[in-house]
Order: sequence, then C-alpha cells, then structure tokens
Amino acid sequence: MIGLIVSIAVMGFTLGRTRLTWPEKFLNDAFGSVQGALYRPAAAVADFFGDLGRLSDVYKENRELRRTVAQYARERAAYNFVEAENERYKEALGFTERQKQLYDYRYRIAQIVGISSNPVDRTIKINLGSRDGIQTDMAVTTTDGSLVGLVSRVSEFTSTVEPITNMDIASDSSVQIAATVYGKEKESFGIIDSYDSNTGMLQMSKIDENDPMAPGDQVITSGLGLVFPRGILIGTLVDRQVGDFGLTQKATVKPAANFDHLREVFVVVVPDVNGP
Amino acid sequence: MNRTVLVGILLLIAENGIVPWLVPSEWSGRLAPHLPFVLLIYVASFAGRHRAFLFGLGFGLLSDILNYGSLIGPYAFGMGLIGYAGGLLMERTTPTLAKLIGLSAAASAAFGTVLYWIYRLFRLTSWSYGFAFYWFIAPTLLLEVLIALAMFVPVRRLLLKPSAKAAEESAT
Repeated sequence: MIGLIVSIAVMGFTLGRTRLTWPEKFLNDAFGSVQGALYRPAAAVADFFGDLGRLSDVYKENRELRRTVAQYARERAAYNFVEAENERYKEALGFTERQKQLYDYRYRIAQIVGISSNPVDRTIKINLGSRDGIQTDMAVTTTDGSLVGLVSRVSEFTSTVEPITNMDIASDSSVQIAATVYGKEKESFGIIDSYDSNTGMLQMSKIDENDPMAPGDQVITSGLGLVFPRGILIGTLVDRQVGDFGLTQKATVKPAANFDHLREVFVVVVPDVNGP
Repeated sequence: MNRTVLVGILLLIAENGIVPWLVPSEWSGRLAPHLPFVLLIYVASFAGRHRAFLFGLGFGLLSDILNYGSLIGPYAFGMGLIGYAGGLLMERTTPTLAKLIGLSAAASAAFGTVLYWIYRLFRLTSWSYGFAFYWFIAPTLLLEVLIALAMFVPVRRLLLKPSAKAAEESAT
C-alpha cells in the first residue's frame, strides 16, 4: 500500500522534469549498452529479410537514384556559387562571428539502442550522451534527413528521444514546431502542434489565410525560434482547411520519417549562439 | 526467486531490443507487449501476492526509468497493483493453464486501462478510452495471452522448482 502511494507521489514529482539524477543515469547507461548489443543484430536480421522482399524494386530504385544524382551534380555547381557569394556579402555587411555560425549545424550520427513499449508514451534511446555534447531539445532526424523528434533526456552515454508522434495539443508540456514549406520559406508559416495516432497525420495550425502553401508541398522546419534548426523535412502537406475559430487555417501533414524499424539517426547540434 | 528476477531483466532487455523488430510497421505502437509483465502474472500465481507486489513494483520502476518519457511511476503503480491483486485472486486456488490464461487476459486489460487513466489524469493524452482500447489495449492483450501461453512450461518449472524441492525435503 505504501509502495502504491509512493509511486503516485513519484509520478507527480517527476512530471515535467528534464534533469536526471545519477541512479537514473546509471541504469540508463547500463541497460543502454546491453540493449544496443541486442538491438543491432536484431536490426541486421530484420533488414536482411526486408531486403529479400525488396529485391524486385532495386532496379526501379536505382534508376531513380541515378536521376537524383545527376540533378545534385547540376545543382552543386550553382550552390557553390551562391554560397561563395553569400559569404562575401556577409563579410561586406559586417556580420559578427556569432551571426555567421548561426546556421552552421553539425550532424552527429547515433545508433538506436532501444525503443520503449509504452504505447501512450513512446521513447527512443540512442547511444550518444552528454559526453558527446548532446543536450536536451536537440532535433533528431533519420539518416535521410526527415525529423524524428527531440532529445528529451540526456545521461552520460545515452539519451532519450521523444518522437514527434508524442505531440499533443492538450498536453501542457508538449513541444510545438515552427514550420514553413519548401520553396516558399519567406511567405509561409505554420505551427506543427499535434499528432493523430488514428490517421497517422501531424496537424499544422495558425496558418494565415493568404498563405500560398498547397497540398503536395514539402513541410520543413523554419528555425524561427532559433532553438530548432531550420530546413529539416517534416513531411508532406496533405490538405488544408479552415481552422477551429475561422481566423486562421489548419493543415494535415503526412510525416516523412518512418518512426519504427529505425537503426541510425542524426542528432542536429546547433551552435551555441547564446554561449560565451 | 533470484533466477526469476534475472529472467525478468533479460526479458526487459529483449523487450526494448528485439520486440520492436518483430512487430510489423503497421502495428508498431499498437502491439506493445510488456514481457516482465507477463512474467509478473506467473509470479503472482505461483509465488504469492507479496512477492508479486514487490516484483511488479521493482520491474515497473525499472522500466519506468529506462523508458522515461513524461513521468516515472505508471508502470510501477500498475504492475505493483496488478501483481498484488492477481496474487490475491490466485492465492486460494491451484493455478491451472486455463486459470492462468484467464488471469493474464484480465490483468493485461487492467494494466492497459490503468496506464491509460494515469496518462489521462495527468493530461498527457487526449485519447478517449474507447480509442485507447481499440488502439492498443485489445491487440496487446491478445499478444500477451499468446506470450503467456508460450512461457507456461519453462516459467512454471522455473518458479515451481524451489517449492517442489522444499516439499521433497519436508517429506523426507
């Protein structure tokens, strides 16, 4: 009976806390390393069988990839020019060192060591921790660059990632992501604030009536809050309708990332602009 | 009992490391078997309610800390409560396969419900109970019953051995 009362008290106490105490860190790291040794072989086996199933698609995929590579080669030349020009302008306009490094993101690759089985509150555990410079609220993407979630808790050698499928507008502690669409970054703005498990769709709200975004557009993070890196793919806009109060509009977004059967993710390290 | 705890830890590691790969993509998040919980049902039926309570509380707390999402405690609370209640129910009867299956189904449904209500209480989810039941409680229940069936023979041997030995010793 006392145990039950204590566990209820613990629930209230630990709600909305982000720091971990050392026993928690120790348990996380100890189990994390053992789990990692198990998760990766299981992933390899599952991938092998998955690959067998996809053998027939390889030809088509290869053709598509070749086309993409050709396009990248063309665009790289243009990009180099633009980047050099941009650098020059920054010099000319006297940007400070801090402003220059604002968008200089680094991508750290992390292996996944476990996925929790709690259906109401899913978490992913990765094998990078505070020793590797990981901090809370860093964005986590799949290896092809679409947003998975945020780092919610960090221990010495492992950290916990909260996927964006946990977002819930009714919850006080839930994050909201400022978003825009690819190609119309200047004109478009919306806030991704919840996820519907039933349909598997994210919801974007607070869109202006005259916003040019349309179904089929690629939704990316806007980075306007400066906490969250910009330009990370979130998903594809599916449809757009008038919002709850009629003043703004809302849209449904199909997430680009596949949230399960993940093996590796990137943690996006934002340069510490507020630091010394 | 020490070996049961060891098996529980192994099951917990397997749950986070291997089970996500066995569940197909479309069902991930819906089929969420909690393997130490299945073991807890056996502990409740064979080792008595006090041990089941401590076992549930300990493993619940462990998985809470490992999967720390929004708060620590729902698993500890749910597993402790259900371990005790299950032990209380099974105390006066001899556990048979049919009773165990019935108990694991009831316990799994109760655990899903407790979990859902805790998250609902702290306003961390906005699902309705009907949706939660359809979404994860019912599929997980079926899967956990199947796992309980598969574990029946080895786990019973694991849990009965010490008491069988004790019975032999007292007989001689």
